[in-house]
Amino acid sequence: MSFAARVGQGMKAAIPVWIAFVPSSMAWGIAAQAHGLTLDEIILMSAWVYSGPAQFAVLMPLAEGKSATTVLIAGFLMNLRFLPMSTALAPFFRGVKRLPLLLASHVVSASSFIVPYLQFQREREASAGCWVADGYGNLGFFLGVGATSFFVWVAGAAAGFGIALGFPSGFEEALKFILPGYFAGLLVAEMKGWTIPLICLASIVTAIPGAMFNPSWGWLASAALIAILAWSFEQWRSRA
Amino acid sequence: MALSRLELIAILGLSALILRALPQLFLVGKKFPEIWDRFLRYLSYALLCGLISITLFMSGARFEAQVAPFRGIALAVTIAVAYKTKSAVTGMLVGTVLVLVASWLRL
Repeated sequence: MSFAARVGQGMKAAIPVWIAFVPSSMAWGIAAQAHGLTLDEIILMSAWVYSGPAQFAVLMPLAEGKSATTVLIAGFLMNLRFLPMSTALAPFFRGVKRLPLLLASHVVSASSFIVPYLQFQREREASAGCWVADGYGNLGFFLGVGATSFFVWVAGAAAGFGIALGFPSGFEEALKFILPGYFAGLLVAEMKGWTIPLICLASIVTAIPGAMFNPSWGWLASAALIAILAWSFEQWRSRA
Repeated sequence: MALSRLELIAILGLSALILRALPQLFLVGKKFPEIWDRFLRYLSYALLCGLISITLFMSGARFEAQVAPFRGIALAVTIAVAYKTKSAVTGMLVGTVLVLVASWLRL
């Protein structure tokens, strides 16, 4: 299949991602406007950082003018999850030159990762043992998903800014609830088992004393501690 | 460290690009260890929940005791609706309406 055909195939597969990106990007645009970011900053951050959770993580410290180190560490920790995603995709792009890989890697996101990854897995299984990665073809499919989702994200964030401007006064409380509410709903809708709900509950509770202790670092440290404890406990239990 | 917002956004984006591109450029054929994958997943869940908590209940180092009960109820309803309907958008909309109504009633 040609590169263009694979891009088209990826675009078709991306439709559910676009639908999911519309409310989340708009929620972010609305929250960012409510926190005082300008349209330029919203578009720049959506396009250049392109990571919903990281954009959410840095929104409040950025708006409140907190220390740059806090903003950068919060964003970096949130973006660490790109490492395993990108590593899992890498074998499917075998043979592709470094520059196209570098440019394409910018559109790796949680949603635009899972659709191509599952597709490549299915194609590998269907080849019954004689699978050879069609690097450029796979890159085309990935770009069909990733690049179009990227544009939906940036446009949605800008639209969110416009929508927030149109709200009369008295809606500030609701505007500030939209993004945390959306992320809470997203986490719950995806939860399975007991480990993640316990981590979430513990993080919600401990973030408050953490932030009282140190408004910049407290919640970050308490969340990291909860994750380390849960992970260590699970490792200990699996060994036992 | 005194950086402007634009400089911060630029550095954030660069760090995100490095994390995205590094495995594509230098780790082809390598496998990310399962236990680290799990740890990073737990870390992102914990960070997001901590963030939700401080966004809704804190103002700097101060616990917003006056509005926290309303926001807490709205968050609980958001979670319950999202869990029941398996839709984050539905949960968010119901929670937002609750917060809005509560803020109007307090006026």
